[in-house]
Amino acid sequence: MRVAVFRWKAVVPLLVLGAVALGLWLVFADRIARRTAESVGTTLIGAEVEIERLHLDLPHGRVEIHGLTVASPFEALENLLQADALVADLEPLPLLEKKLVIDRLTATGLKFGTPRLTDGRTLKDSPSVAGGRSDGVMGQVTRWGEQLQVPALALPTGKISAARLDPAELTTPRGAAALGARADSARQAWDSQLKGLDVAATADSARRMVERLRGAKATDVKLLGDARRTLGQLKQAQDRVTALERSATSGIAALQAGAAGLTDAKQRDYATARGLLKLPGLDAPDIGAALFGPAAVGRFQRALYWVELGRRYMPPGLLPRATPGPRRARRAGATVRFPRANGDPAFLLKTAELSVQLGAGGTTPRTYAASVSGVTSDPALYGRPATASATAPGFRLGALLDHVRPTPRDTATASLAGVALPPLSLPSLPIRLEPGSGTVALSLAVQGDEVRARWAMQSDRVRWTRDSSGAATLSPTGDLVWRVVSGIPTLAVSASLTGSLARPHLAVSSNLDRALAARLRAVAGAELAVAERRVRAQVDSLVDGQVAPVLAKVTALGGDVTRRLGGERTHLDDARKALEQRLRALTGFLLERE
Amino acid sequence: MLVLKLLQSLFKALHSEGTPGQLAAGLALGSILGLTPLWNLHNAVVFALIIVLNVSFAGAMLGWALFVPMGFLLDPAFDWIGRTLLLDTPALRPLWTALYNAPVVPLTSFNNTIVLGSLVVAAVLWVPLFFASRWGVVRYRATVAERVKRSALYRSVVASKLYNLYRLFRPEA
Repeated sequence: MRVAVFRWKAVVPLLVLGAVALGLWLVFADRIARRTAESVGTTLIGAEVEIERLHLDLPHGRVEIHGLTVASPFEALENLLQADALVADLEPLPLLEKKLVIDRLTATGLKFGTPRLTDGRTLKDSPSVAGGRSDGVMGQVTRWGEQLQVPALALPTGKISAARLDPAELTTPRGAAALGARADSARQAWDSQLKGLDVAATADSARRMVERLRGAKATDVKLLGDARRTLGQLKQAQDRVTALERSATSGIAALQAGAAGLTDAKQRDYATARGLLKLPGLDAPDIGAALFGPAAVGRFQRALYWVELGRRYMPPGLLPRATPGPRRARRAGATVRFPRANGDPAFLLKTAELSVQLGAGGTTPRTYAASVSGVTSDPALYGRPATASATAPGFRLGALLDHVRPTPRDTATASLAGVALPPLSLPSLPIRLEPGSGTVALSLAVQGDEVRARWAMQSDRVRWTRDSSGAATLSPTGDLVWRVVSGIPTLAVSASLTGSLARPHLAVSSNLDRALAARLRAVAGAELAVAERRVRAQVDSLVDGQVAPVLAKVTALGGDVTRRLGGERTHLDDARKALEQRLRALTGFLLERE
Repeated sequence: MLVLKLLQSLFKALHSEGTPGQLAAGLALGSILGLTPLWNLHNAVVFALIIVLNVSFAGAMLGWALFVPMGFLLDPAFDWIGRTLLLDTPALRPLWTALYNAPVVPLTSFNNTIVLGSLVVAAVLWVPLFFASRWGVVRYRATVAERVKRSALYRSVVASKLYNLYRLFRPEA
């Protein structure tokens, strides 16, 4: 039996089904497109994208979006932007290739930084959310920010701590022990040499000779010869005593120099102990970085986030690129684009005209005109960089994302004057700064891996408020900083970022730095003196007990040796004097000859 | 409810008037719906084929129901196959580039790793699945079909309302 290949009676139901499907698509196309746009936008931005109403007008190649809200990927309860209406004129043919080419987009009622009721961040590793990590752009930017060294404001809060003083690190006790040993050794040597002189025997021999010469005659040649030998022995003994005196004097001087060296060693030990004190950095740049570093890093992180997003979704070159697939019950996988030379980009926004509303809090928002052009997923195909610009009184914005060449080059500069600046909390201090109306400027240039950025904020009427809650209220640091800054009505902060993206260098300065540094130095100076006295006393307690006996020993040794040598010399002098007088009396002539 | 529908599909397919070949073809086409992500343009084509071709609709529904969980389970493998074909095989790059820049084809999402991987696997499995299921149906009908037909479970399933819907698309002998 031959079986028919086609089920002809099912063709009509199939056509009906197709018609129903088409009808359903027409009915729900707006909703499907809205959900798709929300999903794609949310994935791209890293925060919720919500659209109140979207209308596809395919016959006219037009899409209208009303009530667009894009949550901030950085702040929990803040919108990145809101727009009243967006109208996009599409090129229809690229749609058949699943490509979106927008000839012209007009956006009205754009507002930035508006509040929202729920957390719209989809990436919970935002810089302001602790703990989260991802391999996405937000994760990269978070890790990048963490490598920037922002010093903590570690001020002397009543006490300066010191590490434990190790007696073995002190040089004075070792010097004192060595000097004591040298003194003992010298005493032994001198004692031995004094005994070797045998001055008493020589003097006694001279005295006995004097006695023998009493009643002797000048003709007693033998006796006179003995007397002369004795006199010679006396002179030799005197010479030896003189030599020993010279040696002892030199030795004592060396010991006294050693004793003086102990004083120098003690000074060095004071310095060693002072080096153990943990003193805060009181340089003005450190203070600027500690106070405004986190805020500056936050601004640079945000700027870099958009640069990195641009590089991810607008990469240079024509190689295939994989991006995360659509969200669904099944795995998303990766969707790969295969750009082709002279083809249409997967996404291209040729020109956009934006009507932006900006204004200080409480004042009527002002409307500015801005334009964007050349935003595309394939810059190499489009061949021109993406640009954005806006100019108005007090407001200037310019950006250029040049990903046409292999090395991407991104530059942006923006300044805004006369607008309400966002409040800042000083890190780890219960002090909040409300800059009020002022000027803020940000410039950024990223070429390849090299970054150069600057953020500046200026206000003439700042308001300082003190957070009365929390334990930090009682902190002497908080009190000190509060006393200094609360009297300063102006604020000028400047932060710069240079170097490679892998090893950036952050520098922050402000007008508060010098005032705060001077005050901190004064406070720290008093604390420093107390701490130094404390460590000197500690050194004294470890050193003096060993140095004093050695000094006494050296002093006593000098006196003792001098006294004993003096006594020996006196004996010899007296004996010689007596012997010479006796001999002169006997043989004045002969002695005169000698 | 899902189990009941699966049973209905199973019974109706196995005991339909269709030939084993019609049943096997339906089941193999249905497996494509189950293995690949459902909401894609290629599945609209597959669904149209199931309706227009004289294959067992119940078999197709059975194949779909049976292969949906397998699709979920095999997604990591599909992803790997899709990546290999799309990104790691330079010889195929001109083909993908041409398809990506051709009208309509990109609407199939062929450039998604899961879609391409699962579609390739479903296409490769189609022929062996067709022959294996045809052999299985023949063996079933020759052995236990009559006993099942007399069972209370079969009668209750056949009596349900869904059976009437099925009759509209049952294969023509």
